Amino acid sequence: MAPPSTSAERAAAPAPAPGPVSQHPAATARPPRRAVARLGLPVLLALVAVVTVTPFAVMVLVAFAPAGGQTLPGAFDVGRATLDNFADVLAGADITRWAVNSLVYSLVSVLLILLFSSMAGYAFAKKRFPGREILFWSFLATLMVPFQATLIPYYILVSELGGVDTYWGLIVPTLANSQAVFLMRQFIVQLPDELFEAAKIDGASEWRIYTAVVLPLIRPVLATLGVFVFLWHWNDFLWPLVIGQSAEMRTLTVGLATLEGENVAINQVMAGATITVIPCLLVFGLLQRYLTDSIATSGLKS
Amino acid sequence: MRKAATDEIAPDEGDGPPGAGGPCADAKGAGPRGRGPRPAPAHAAVGARSGIPRRREALTGLAFVAPMLLLFIVFRFGPTLGAAFLSVTDYRLSGEWTFIGAGNYTRLLGDDLFWESLGVTAVYTALYVPMTVALALGTAVLLHRTLWMRGFFRGLFFLPYVTSIVLAAVIWKWIYEVQDGLLNASLRLLGAGPVDFLGSESLVLPSIAAASAWKGFGYSMLILLAGLQSIPREVTEAARIDGASGRQRFCWVTLPLLRPVLFFVLVIEAILGFQVFDAMYVMTAGGPVRASYSLVYFLYDSGFTFFDFGYASAVGLVLFAIVLVFSLIQRRLIGRDAD
Repeated sequence: MAPPSTSAERAAAPAPAPGPVSQHPAATARPPRRAVARLGLPVLLALVAVVTVTPFAVMVLVAFAPAGGQTLPGAFDVGRATLDNFADVLAGADITRWAVNSLVYSLVSVLLILLFSSMAGYAFAKKRFPGREILFWSFLATLMVPFQATLIPYYILVSELGGVDTYWGLIVPTLANSQAVFLMRQFIVQLPDELFEAAKIDGASEWRIYTAVVLPLIRPVLATLGVFVFLWHWNDFLWPLVIGQSAEMRTLTVGLATLEGENVAINQVMAGATITVIPCLLVFGLLQRYLTDSIATSGLKS
Repeated sequence: MRKAATDEIAPDEGDGPPGAGGPCADAKGAGPRGRGPRPAPAHAAVGARSGIPRRREALTGLAFVAPMLLLFIVFRFGPTLGAAFLSVTDYRLSGEWTFIGAGNYTRLLGDDLFWESLGVTAVYTALYVPMTVALALGTAVLLHRTLWMRGFFRGLFFLPYVTSIVLAAVIWKWIYEVQDGLLNASLRLLGAGPVDFLGSESLVLPSIAAASAWKGFGYSMLILLAGLQSIPREVTEAARIDGASGRQRFCWVTLPLLRPVLFFVLVIEAILGFQVFDAMYVMTAGGPVRASYSLVYFLYDSGFTFFDFGYASAVGLVLFAIVLVFSLIQRRLIGRDAD
């Protein structure tokens, strides 16, 4: 119960405190250094904002510029903006297939990770069974092993099972996600036992308790974790690179890297990059909303 | 809210276990105990539980863990042991292997390419970590002081983090381009000659590190911002009343209080730095003349260009050892800080 309430406090506390106070007439009597500092803040913010946004702007401008017409962003001629690069890159490379692969990889992984990790998290949080502690900690311990360190045995295992160039070979090994289990367990542990006891007294089966009581209660975590898992998979590179060996099994991220390596015109590469980033931005909109939502819902919960 | 507060106080009276004893939390018997002598029927029922419901509970627990457990056995525990096993064999693409003991490791010690890649990785990390953490800390402080449109700017600065390293690499490769890239086109306007950012052995690592810092600083920024917001306002306020200037307050009050969070962020970024691969694969293919050939690149090449799986696994174990050392340092430092 503690973490949500503190985060709600954190969100609420700083907002009302200093703002109006410094607006008082007394503030004008302060030495000029204050004024510089107050001007400096927005200037610095704007500067960081420009640095953050410029690469994206460069990408979009080059993607819409006529072939060979890429220069400084300021020199962009709106009148000559064109969609040709998008048409060309879609015609030249199998981007639609790559996008489908990326979607399958990301969405199926999200669904299965949410399902399995919430089940495991529920058991770790609310069920007593032998070996529970050891299992949970050994799950967590795998966080210490960097993925690249086990890349080779991973690959040998999946290729021995015939998983190279298949969706399951791409997806299944990534489902063993200890962060997801950890997050689920930490959240479910805070839920009061009475909720589950009541359902049990009503004669609900264990599976029914999980689907009808646990899942609705953990919706905020499902949403937040879902967004993160989606982004991890959508942006994943090394594993899809290794396991998707034919051109048809590339994900968008791997495909973009090969476009870059194959001397495709820069305008087309940037058009491809723009296509790649759109789902990230859409999902990012969701993430923003769920960040604020999860604070609101946890406030309600207590 | 008020109800929750009293509930939370109750277990304290009973000297309840700290939150860390998570599994003990389902012994909600602590609740009734705290509330005093009122007879608790629920408590009695729990006590009367015989072996059969308990076995049922254990079985359902195991059943719910089973899918994830199976995945972990096959795809986490197995490959981790597998990596250790492969590293002492000469496993090749054909699947044939013989036990060669420490052979791969002694070969690594004498392999110039391995030492070169380790050096490149270390230099890259030494560039990437300060760049990223400085950017993250700077923006976190800015956001902390901003009241106007804070949510908007936080979202904006976090934007690069939600994209892929490959995307960042593709865009920045173009920005660094010698002919018409954004940086060189700007330099030309200023009358400065073209700089071959990615083609120069001395500039290639700082250039890649800067692109990665742009992509990655958002995560550390959010963590540092949360750290800043958890510092009680009274503490900095007290320092202000004592006459400390803004800079003094930051250096002597805020930064020391932020130290555990800062350590955490530094170690996380250092671990990430040592795993660098994607950016180099896309931007330079390890060049020029292996000036950006990282440890993971060496692992990737050993495994998937030369199909020397045993050797590549040994490189993987070296990476694991390095990451482990970083994690232990982190635990040490943060543990000491907590005391």
